[in-house]
Amino acid sequence: MASVASSTTAPGFREKARRWAAGFRERETWAAYAFLAPWLIGFVIFTAIPMGWSAWLSLTDYSVIQDAKYVGLDNYRFMLDDPKVRLALTNNLTFAMFSVPGVLIVALGLAMILNRVKWGGGFFRTVFYLPNITPPVAVAILYLLLFNGSVGVVNRGLELIHVPGPFWTTDPTWIKPGLALMNVWSVGGTMVIFLAALKSVPPHLYEAAAIDGASAWRRFRDITLPMISPAIFFNLIIQTIYAFTLFAEAYTAFFGAGTKSNQTEAALFYGIYIFQEAFVNFRMGYASALAWLLFVIIMVITAVQVKVGNRFVFYEGDRR
Amino acid sequence: MSEVSPDVQVQARQGAIAAAAPKPPRRSLPRPNRSWFGQGIFLFVLAGLSVLFVYPFVWVLSASFKPQSQVFDNRIIPKDFHPENYWGGDPSVFDIADAPVARWLFNSLWLGGLEALLVTFVSAIVAFAFAYFRFPGRNFFFGLVLATLMLPNQVMMIPRYLIFNHFNLVNTQYPLWVPGIFGSAFYIFLQRQFFLGIPRELFEAARIDGDNYWTMFWRIALPIAKPALIVTFLFEFQAKWFDLLDPLIYLRDTNLFTLPLGLKTILDSFGTGGGGQGDWQVIVAATVIATIPMIILFGFFQRYFVQGIAAQGRKG
Amino acid sequence: MSSRWKRSGVLLTVAGLCVVIWASFAAAQADVKAGPNAGATLKIMGFGPGDEIANIRASEAEAALGGAAVSNPRGGFSDQTFLAALAAKDVPDLVYMDRQKVASYAARGALVPLGNCIKQQSIDTSQYRLAALNEVRYKGQTYAIPEFTNPRTIIVNDKVAADAGVTVAAFNTNDWAALRATNKKVLKTDGGKVTRIGFDPKIPEFFPMWAKANGVNLLSADGLKAHLNDPKSVAALTYAYSLIQDHGGWGPFKSFRDTWDFFGAGNQVAKNQIGAWPMESFYYNVLAQNSPQVNITALPFKNRKGGPITLITGNGWAIPKGAKNPGLACRWIKAVTAPASWVKAAKARFDAQKRLNRPFTGVYTANKAADTKIYEDIYQKMGRADFDNAVSLLVSINRYGFTLPASPGGAEFNTAMQDAINRVLAGTQSPKAALDQAQKEAQAAIDRNKR
Repeated sequence: MASVASSTTAPGFREKARRWAAGFRERETWAAYAFLAPWLIGFVIFTAIPMGWSAWLSLTDYSVIQDAKYVGLDNYRFMLDDPKVRLALTNNLTFAMFSVPGVLIVALGLAMILNRVKWGGGFFRTVFYLPNITPPVAVAILYLLLFNGSVGVVNRGLELIHVPGPFWTTDPTWIKPGLALMNVWSVGGTMVIFLAALKSVPPHLYEAAAIDGASAWRRFRDITLPMISPAIFFNLIIQTIYAFTLFAEAYTAFFGAGTKSNQTEAALFYGIYIFQEAFVNFRMGYASALAWLLFVIIMVITAVQVKVGNRFVFYEGDRR
Repeated sequence: MSEVSPDVQVQARQGAIAAAAPKPPRRSLPRPNRSWFGQGIFLFVLAGLSVLFVYPFVWVLSASFKPQSQVFDNRIIPKDFHPENYWGGDPSVFDIADAPVARWLFNSLWLGGLEALLVTFVSAIVAFAFAYFRFPGRNFFFGLVLATLMLPNQVMMIPRYLIFNHFNLVNTQYPLWVPGIFGSAFYIFLQRQFFLGIPRELFEAARIDGDNYWTMFWRIALPIAKPALIVTFLFEFQAKWFDLLDPLIYLRDTNLFTLPLGLKTILDSFGTGGGGQGDWQVIVAATVIATIPMIILFGFFQRYFVQGIAAQGRKG
Repeated sequence: MSSRWKRSGVLLTVAGLCVVIWASFAAAQADVKAGPNAGATLKIMGFGPGDEIANIRASEAEAALGGAAVSNPRGGFSDQTFLAALAAKDVPDLVYMDRQKVASYAARGALVPLGNCIKQQSIDTSQYRLAALNEVRYKGQTYAIPEFTNPRTIIVNDKVAADAGVTVAAFNTNDWAALRATNKKVLKTDGGKVTRIGFDPKIPEFFPMWAKANGVNLLSADGLKAHLNDPKSVAALTYAYSLIQDHGGWGPFKSFRDTWDFFGAGNQVAKNQIGAWPMESFYYNVLAQNSPQVNITALPFKNRKGGPITLITGNGWAIPKGAKNPGLACRWIKAVTAPASWVKAAKARFDAQKRLNRPFTGVYTANKAADTKIYEDIYQKMGRADFDNAVSLLVSINRYGFTLPASPGGAEFNTAMQDAINRVLAGTQSPKAALDQAQKEAQAAIDRNKR
């Protein structure tokens, strides 16, 4: 733990409060709060008040044009029975099932190769990172162009190896795999994190294993994987959250004023549904309730992953 | 999380990037891969994969110089060179009625720059408070900073919109940069890690020399933290450069748009999904314009991008 | 990169940013000053510059405003933009939107009833088609003035019919079994790929017409009750879908259709890629302008009893609540939908077509007086019997037009219906299950919006 607390014992509440108040006799305390002030004010205006407001809104029927009407838990009740909620969450889940393993595996594979080449590593790292600095709207346009069923280059490529390509952007079953593939293209950031983790694995571990005659697979399984497990875990959580909050790419490709004929339920992700309910149908109350459900879902997923992760993740610091 | 180790402090003093975990002593590789044969295979695989990663860029760049009928011909060198997609054609990107691309580019640059500058500076102030000062409530408020990291944007999006709407600031650019004045939890967290790596003795010495809290921050902490500040600026600038949702919610007049929203608008009016005629060559040219500035920035600051990302992974 | 380079890079960036920030603040201030001093301006949303029919009427309407300026930005109607404008109390004076959406907005109090406007400008509502007015009438009030009707008729490609050995009259929606047989005879596939479509039912777009033909109104007359999962509606969808299945499924069907050059000289009729399909009236003009040499026959879409029906819908003009210049808006509405404007615009198109020796296929509006004038005063046969016959069918068919009645959940109703049909086409749900779900969604939306 980085040293944070000034007191290490566990005093009672009264004692705590006393010390807390006593702190304000110090000039340092006042200076500290002066430094903190911008964030504190911002926290109140742009986090605390919005959260409270959002919680209240989720109990109302509010269209902005007309005044808010208190409806109790109706929004949440309606949500349970809303087929669109189920549909959207299923879409996110399906996307996650393709995208998360895809990104993690490709990123780890690239990082492992990059970690072993003697020269050219920096150049290739730059190349693999480039898609990461491409704006999501541009990525979505690339997706529409490259994955176009009849003229796109992806299907042209598949034709070369005599595989008939699907209609990626129009066939509901292929939309999510296609988007996930496009997401795998932006694998660079994840790869860089893996690469940093791989580089910090102490080489003597491998040397010892080599002396013991461990196979490459054993070395990977027993040394590499445990040693980089914090990075795996971090990327897993980040990628899962990304999959559940996906917006810009899918919205650009399938929704909005000018893409009417592209619009499809298969690309209705949860983030897009919230956006539509809030800003296209102006059901601010219902949309707030939907947003809170997303919050809970993300919390649950993270909590589960942390819990499972604790069993498998090896934190080097723990042993020191 | 691991204790901040001495070698990090050295790095920090030398002005290296984000308080990182200890550097590996040397890059030594397991024996089999030292063979020329193994290296050859690796390079071959990497080269092959690079083609996959770079091809979309090449495709777009090349398509942006093709006439409409040849956009999908998949040639790398355009058969008929057609720069009119950018200038002088009908339609051409820089000359579309109601789609002022140059203006959007300008908007994205100044909004992103201003917001990122604010976020960087203010986050540094707050991070310094958490790293250096000892005061009651520090753990509590730092916990709060970490907690806000977990909040999805979607929960805040609606009430924030209503707040800005209440003050008649919808359809202005203020909602896109004003929140930057208050710093951002993620960068506070990142920069605090960095400040923690600065040895306290440096500050004590300065204090004896007559520095006050502000000059300590300004004269000592900030210069050492320059790499972390650059990382913050770059990441935040990139986030703003990428953002579609906020401009989509807040902006209505085309003159106020940023590039992502502008690009979406061009896709909507020229693609075939809406009422467009399928002028893909124009859409593609606009995509190139939206992509190139980040590539230039990356060219200059590549090291910071990469090390910033790596630091994120370690600290998450 | 040397560190000096980096330093100057950073400095340059910062300096550049400062200039940019300063410049934009200056620009922003200039904008603020220019705003309120201008004279009265009619702000329109969702119309924008269009073809000659739109532009000529727009300039007619502008002339009726008595000198006020008009702001008419490009781009179609967007729900999100419109609602944001309403929320910010910074509304346009006039919106041009899909008539199916009018009642939804009216129910939410976003539009003003046009009763006063109609009175003040003495707009003769009797000259508008009743069906079109019903589409924009909510709780006894009219909320929009309708424009085009786009009547739907069947376009038969004579060459394909002859090639397949069927008569043109065989494309008859009256007799479902016979139509299906014709479909099978005309369509062509090649190893799982469709190379010619027999009869395209045009679902989901035209599904209300199939349902109506089978004797069910998908929405009750008051717009408050959805009948999407009525057995007759399910039967209609099952049948329409079977026409697509005959081609080997939606995938090959749609991917073939996506390769067409719909608006070009090499369109699917010119290239004999389809036997017949129901289509909006504007497509005759597309054919007349791009491939006037084609041989087509226009047939009415018939219900199962043999009577002609057609779905008519299009856009309309409405005034949002809080509009600053409702008077100007009202004048515009009257002028832009007046017979004189329609006639002038139609005349321009007629002249242009005549100059190029191409047939004129008429303009079909919700204004009966305008339609009559266009047909009687402007239209002339130009020796292309195929197109002339089409025009006489279109002129008479508007009379049999029906619409989906105004409904507070109109927009959601349409989405639910289209989504359901798309699920059926994708093969993920049966027609019954899909329409059951759509019924639930649509009814819930109606109930929620009508409060």
